[in-house]
Amino acid sequence: MYNRSYYIALVIILGAFLQSSAQDCDLTIKGYVIDESSQAPLAYVNLYIQETQSGTTTDETGFFSLDKICMGHYHIIVSHIGCEDEKFHCDILSDTILNLTLSHTPISLGTIVVSSQKDDYNNQANLSVNRSVIEDNSHLNISGLLENETGVSLLKNGNGISKPVVHGLYGNRLVILNNGVAQSGQQWGNDHSPEIDPFALDKITIIKGANALEYGSGNLGAVILSEPKRIAKEPHLHGQINYAYETNGRGQTLNTRLGKYSEALAWRLTGSLKKYGDRQTPNYFLKNTGLEEANLSLQLEKTYNEKLFLDFYASTFNTRLGVLRGSHISNLTDLERALSQEEPFFTELDFSNGIDAPKQEVSHHLAKAKAKYFISEDRILEFVISGQVNDRKEFDIRRSGRSEIPALSLFQSTLSADLSYSFSTEKKWAIKLGNQTAFAKNTNNPETGIFPLIPNYTTVKSGLFGTATYSKNALTYNFGLRYDIEDQIVLGLTTSFPREVVRYDNLFSNFSALAALTAHLSDKQSLSWNVGYAMRNPAINELYSAGLHQGVSGIEEGDPNLTQEKALKNTLEYKWVPGSQFAFNVLGYYQYFEDYIYLNPQDEFRLTIRGAFPVFSYEQADADIIGLDVSTQYTISNSLLGLLKYSYLKGENRGQGEPLIFMPPNSLFGSLTYRGHNTRMLTESLNMEDTEIEVTNRYVFQQNNLLDEQDFLEAPEAYNLFGLKVSTNFILPKYKIRTYLKVDNLFNTQYRDYLNRQRYFADDVGRSLVIGLNLKF
Amino acid sequence: MKTHYLSLLALVFSLVLFVSCDPEEPGGGPEPELITTLNYTLTSTTGEVVVLTFQDLDGDGGDAPVVSSGTLSANTTYVGTIELLNESIDPVEDITEEVEAEDEEHQFFFMSTVAGLTVDYADQDEDDNPVGLTSSLTTGDASTGTLTINLIHEPQKVADGVATGDISNAGGESDIEVTFSIVVQ
Repeated sequence: MYNRSYYIALVIILGAFLQSSAQDCDLTIKGYVIDESSQAPLAYVNLYIQETQSGTTTDETGFFSLDKICMGHYHIIVSHIGCEDEKFHCDILSDTILNLTLSHTPISLGTIVVSSQKDDYNNQANLSVNRSVIEDNSHLNISGLLENETGVSLLKNGNGISKPVVHGLYGNRLVILNNGVAQSGQQWGNDHSPEIDPFALDKITIIKGANALEYGSGNLGAVILSEPKRIAKEPHLHGQINYAYETNGRGQTLNTRLGKYSEALAWRLTGSLKKYGDRQTPNYFLKNTGLEEANLSLQLEKTYNEKLFLDFYASTFNTRLGVLRGSHISNLTDLERALSQEEPFFTELDFSNGIDAPKQEVSHHLAKAKAKYFISEDRILEFVISGQVNDRKEFDIRRSGRSEIPALSLFQSTLSADLSYSFSTEKKWAIKLGNQTAFAKNTNNPETGIFPLIPNYTTVKSGLFGTATYSKNALTYNFGLRYDIEDQIVLGLTTSFPREVVRYDNLFSNFSALAALTAHLSDKQSLSWNVGYAMRNPAINELYSAGLHQGVSGIEEGDPNLTQEKALKNTLEYKWVPGSQFAFNVLGYYQYFEDYIYLNPQDEFRLTIRGAFPVFSYEQADADIIGLDVSTQYTISNSLLGLLKYSYLKGENRGQGEPLIFMPPNSLFGSLTYRGHNTRMLTESLNMEDTEIEVTNRYVFQQNNLLDEQDFLEAPEAYNLFGLKVSTNFILPKYKIRTYLKVDNLFNTQYRDYLNRQRYFADDVGRSLVIGLNLKF
Repeated sequence: MKTHYLSLLALVFSLVLFVSCDPEEPGGGPEPELITTLNYTLTSTTGEVVVLTFQDLDGDGGDAPVVSSGTLSANTTYVGTIELLNESIDPVEDITEEVEAEDEEHQFFFMSTVAGLTVDYADQDEDDNPVGLTSSLTTGDASTGTLTINLIHEPQKVADGVATGDISNAGGESDIEVTFSIVVQ
């Protein structure tokens, strides 16, 4: 579906300069390492031959030389600070010249790599999280990995449940692609985390520009691509074991990844286990906030005659998530009682790792098969078929042992098929055409004995798209068009007795378009402008919700007459990289919505036998979001790296003349990293390298753009969190062990976050120490 | 090669069609946990009987609930009993039994704005904490106001003031919260 070649951080040019037959153990491997983008030599690159346990480092000119090598098969590990390690296999039969190109992307903002133009999303503002970040944060969920990126915030319910918010948009307006397949499930719920195991991924990219058209309709906001990379051409069994212990929650995470390449079939297996107990604020334990997770994924790859590439991927994600006991309330009076408490109800003095109701149990399974056929060098046909199953059960506190019966039980199955054809012309046009068809069926399991919040439905969607890229001189143009149809068949129940079945059949068609232009002002500066128009069909929950949404303690009412939401998004991005020491990136955006669908709190309260409940209705109004993301990096003497990021956002409901609710507050993130370049030899066969010390600081402003009557409580005050991380690698003859120690919320600051629903009831989590070990073999 | 893919595509589309396009018929089955009706029966020592009723037969949405009001005699003591019913199902289910069976996990709270009107607990669970299925209501001089009855599921009965009927520290969640207009004359 997209070119994966940009993953290959190392372009290896194996100069097969066969010289006259050399002595068996007197061969040399030498060459240069250069930076891909600047073509400048790279010093301090470590090269290490696993089999001989010998290594070297490049000099100022990027040159290296390894002597006295015997003929044979070797694994060479290339590592450079700020890049991911790359290991490759080669047969040394003679003196060899090895010229390596490290793709040290133009702005390497520490953990973020603002992608170079090598990828498919030129003209798209994007950023990504790479494998080393994923490994060093294996205790986090996929949303948690994105938290410090500019323009990204998290919508949470406690610490375990979180979903990403990009430029103020989330849920139905955001597309998350898991390995090329649009993640299906109950994305509408604010308390529903994406069901993806980050450890199975190598890269998470956020495309912040106007919608990337090939990823389906409805994504008015960003696209989050989460992808494993292709299996390395590595004929031996390799893998890693990763373990992390976190003090807060006494959580343990164990991951493993194994892989082997062979001509017949390449495979990779990834597994994760996670267990957490109650989290802790600076002053008390958060009762029932543990979690459990068990995931497994299998990737198989096969190439026929260099022409046909087959890829199969299957994954299973299973989790049980506790919800703070004291946040489980019923009506408005309960909320008032809870708000007046210093500590949440049910707080206990002792730690516990049990998970009882209220809780969520979610399973998500995915199977995908992809065929990519290279008709010729520049013509590619790709076909992907996938199936997903999402099983979500939410448990409330109920009478007479019914807490064991879910109060919400939804089962969704999705089947999709994508076909695309891409080709490029000699006149520098790159064109991609395709079709996507998906079928989804969503069913309420009647076991709950509770009137379902959303009805049963099926949807069939099909879309045609075309994208084109044209480059000439210093300008790159992007165009895209997409047309979709969607059929929704809904079977719901009347809210009054006797319950009767009501049927709705909706047919929507919508249209999206994209245009973008990047001007390379010079080697060091570029300016990109991106404009996109998209329509989103009202989702089932927006149309037909009816009843109590226990997760938010409110009555939600859909409106069957909602129309499509339309959005126009403009982004303007400026990048300036005057040299290797300094990089600057600023992205401004403005998104205008017509008929923006939102949940509007009503003036009335609904009187029930359980008391008065707030009523929220889905309504439409024109709205806009304006924002700015700035990031800058400064490197001092190659070993000290400073990073500063700032995100600003303001959302307005133009129709009602009031602010949009649940918009992320502005935030500032800074970090200072010390990197030791020297390899320290501890013993004959144990080296220590790439030692890093990092101090981070995140400041989140108070959300001031909010009227008093829009919330039960004033938005929480600004908060300032510090973090510290120390990491180093130990190199043994056959293994590499990475160790790190990290402290989050270093000063045990007491705070609450505006986008965390738990803020009504409790403080956020306090100091936490994470110790991690990663063994690669 | 192209035809190969087209046939594959056709296969997928036919697969899509093969899967039933209609959603599952929604259950609409019984909602056994629903409480539709609360009856607070007050019997005075002289045999006068007043029943306060809150009834919402179709649950949270739909039609509005029907709430009765009550007229009580001044300076009188009543024995109060609470009955909870689920009248949405046939036969009608007596939810009072569920509460009785789990009386440690339930407690009623009575809050009155009527001058001189007090409600005391007249029953206990196995831990000797009050429940409120049976209570004693005493009126003062003539007055008007409201009486709110709140049933809390999983209250913290040992918390400050909870055993004497103060709801503030009870925690838990409301299974019932109903308010009646009261005239004492």
